[in-house]
Amino acid sequence: MCVNIAVNISETGWGPEGMPDEVLIKAENVSKKFCRSLRRSMWYGLHGVIGALNPFSIAPKGGDLDGQAMEVELRKDEFWSLQDVSFDIRRGECLGLIGHNGAGKSTLLKILNGLMRPDLGRITMRGRVAALIELNAGFNGLLTGRENIINQATLLGFSKQELNSRFDEIVEFSGLHQFLDMPVQNYSSGMKVKLGFSVYAMLRPDVLIIDEVLAVGDVAFRMKCLNAIGDMMRTAAVVFVSHSMPQIFRVCSEVMVLDQGACVYRGRNISAGVARYLDLATNVGHQVTGAGTVHVQEVQLCAGEARAGIGQTLEIPHGAGFETVVMLQARQPVGPARLELLLWNSEMLPVVEMMTTELVGYVFEFDSQLRAVVRVRLPKLELGPGVYTLCVIVTNPDHSLVHCRHDCLATIKVLAGSPSGACVLSVCEWELL
Amino acid sequence: MKSADDLPVRVITPHDGRDAFLHAVTSLVRDWSFTTNLAWRMFRRDTVAQFRGSFLGWFWIIIPTLANSAVWIFLGSSVISIDSGSVAYPLYVFVGNLLWTGFSGCLLGGLGVLGEAQGALSKVNFPHEALVLVVFGKSILNVAVTLLALPLFMIIYPVTWHPEILLFPIGLLMTMICGLSLGLVLVPVTALFSDLSRAIQLGMRFAFFLTPVVLPLPPSGFARTLMLWNPATSLIVASRAWLLGGEHADLLAVSCISIVSILVLLVSVLAIKIAIPHIIERTAGG
Repeated sequence: MCVNIAVNISETGWGPEGMPDEVLIKAENVSKKFCRSLRRSMWYGLHGVIGALNPFSIAPKGGDLDGQAMEVELRKDEFWSLQDVSFDIRRGECLGLIGHNGAGKSTLLKILNGLMRPDLGRITMRGRVAALIELNAGFNGLLTGRENIINQATLLGFSKQELNSRFDEIVEFSGLHQFLDMPVQNYSSGMKVKLGFSVYAMLRPDVLIIDEVLAVGDVAFRMKCLNAIGDMMRTAAVVFVSHSMPQIFRVCSEVMVLDQGACVYRGRNISAGVARYLDLATNVGHQVTGAGTVHVQEVQLCAGEARAGIGQTLEIPHGAGFETVVMLQARQPVGPARLELLLWNSEMLPVVEMMTTELVGYVFEFDSQLRAVVRVRLPKLELGPGVYTLCVIVTNPDHSLVHCRHDCLATIKVLAGSPSGACVLSVCEWELL
Repeated sequence: MKSADDLPVRVITPHDGRDAFLHAVTSLVRDWSFTTNLAWRMFRRDTVAQFRGSFLGWFWIIIPTLANSAVWIFLGSSVISIDSGSVAYPLYVFVGNLLWTGFSGCLLGGLGVLGEAQGALSKVNFPHEALVLVVFGKSILNVAVTLLALPLFMIIYPVTWHPEILLFPIGLLMTMICGLSLGLVLVPVTALFSDLSRAIQLGMRFAFFLTPVVLPLPPSGFARTLMLWNPATSLIVASRAWLLGGEHADLLAVSCISIVSILVLLVSVLAIKIAIPHIIERTAGG
């Protein structure tokens, strides 16, 4: 999706400078608490319902934000799922919401969507709100695609006239002409999402809430969705939740990092936000798979003075080299073996494989004590800023047997000052001709 | 595109009591045309889907009432003696069952009003009173289809024409509204704790016998007192009396219960609207 925020602003003429009051979403000190225990949660819920129905009860006012600061106390088993979160988003801007599972993202989206109310604070929204949270909520499997389109459009607030005039457009977008009269229960999951999204694609909201909906469908349709969302974003204030950092880089003009309900970073420096998010990653611990005939005893990463072993993190500046020493122990004579070292990024994609000049893994033999120590030097690591994990694989030279595979053995953190979402930052030679 | 000042503003704050009540009333009125449109779509969706999954389709609506009537007609004719006055017992039983179907369908439907939409409830923001209309619509459909068998009974067991027959549809409707209001008034509690709705589902089996559905109101005794305390009793007895004659219709009781039912219904819908954010918060994951 080619959403260049600066271009959009100039295209639509709705810029922060031109129209300073075009704030469409304003969240002020929003807090929400949840309860860990189910029974107690229901009990508190009943209290909440009774309180809400009691005409004489007074909720903490959203209006006088200063006076109410955290006067609502946590009861037993409660925790702040969202704590004192504030932001404002103008038309044409997109706030990326990142954080680990349970950080409070969905809670915030549900409050923005009006499904829940905050315990403290206030949100002001202007205009038509569209929430792309679960695209086929409300589908009935026994009904045909055609009937479900009509139902879904009604659920999303289309009037009859609007629906009549746009029905063909919806079908056209979905590309499901020949399946339109088939019950939706016989659709594949991708087709259901296509059908669901096609209805949403017709919305022209002022406020757009997107929750992880882009990771579905085939590539062609995904591009179509991204374009449609791009169109919507151009004229809307957007809250965008994703675990895909490239998408965050591509779409957002500002990011907010949530950790245990609290905002730990908010700003327009996307890479600083992403770095903050990656810092929050807890060490997943290293995983061993394979036949188990060979075992990695020790790994040493070093770059200059810096050292890191198994489970540790090596911090290096962008463009620096590093050395890896791998100590292997075979449990039985295995003959020649091939060693492969890979770096995975936080998106779980392999970004670097360390190779020999023949562009294959390193073939070696174990000594008489069934041990081998291999050193590999990577002269220059040009990866962008981020956290990468080291994976060691030992196989037969012909790959017919995996002796062992160690994932997440150690972590390399690349530090770079410049903000970028690219995987590789290449230093190039430039000249003006 | 409108400028920000012209756009509708939505403010989301914690709100309870009077604020919440006023908000519920204004949004109920403001969204009404959307609500009815949406309810109609949801009603059609559920109804069409319900029958598409079966061969006999609509026939299944009428079967339970006919089957239950058949059991009691059999019992009444050969096992126990039941005095249904001047009215033929099979007709008495069928009309009683018809009214009970309307009452209990509305009550149980009202109780489960949020359960059916659990999936959409925590994902899409829509006027939830549409669900109440859907439940009511489904009950009306059930009763209407069952009503198709009534002419058959009335041909076999002729009823002489009297003007009160025209009051029967009103009685039937009020019986259903009474059931719906009783179901809905408990929703803010039953949506959180399922105990009460389970107990009520069980209780409905006893309630069948504590209401003069297949057995007439006893002339005296504890059972009579208990039955008279049952709000459905007056409505069912009066409706049946209007259609078939024979029993005594207590107009005062019917009017009072009808008015109270309508008021309770309105208050319940508002209460559900106010309670729903709390219910979503507790029943749908964060």
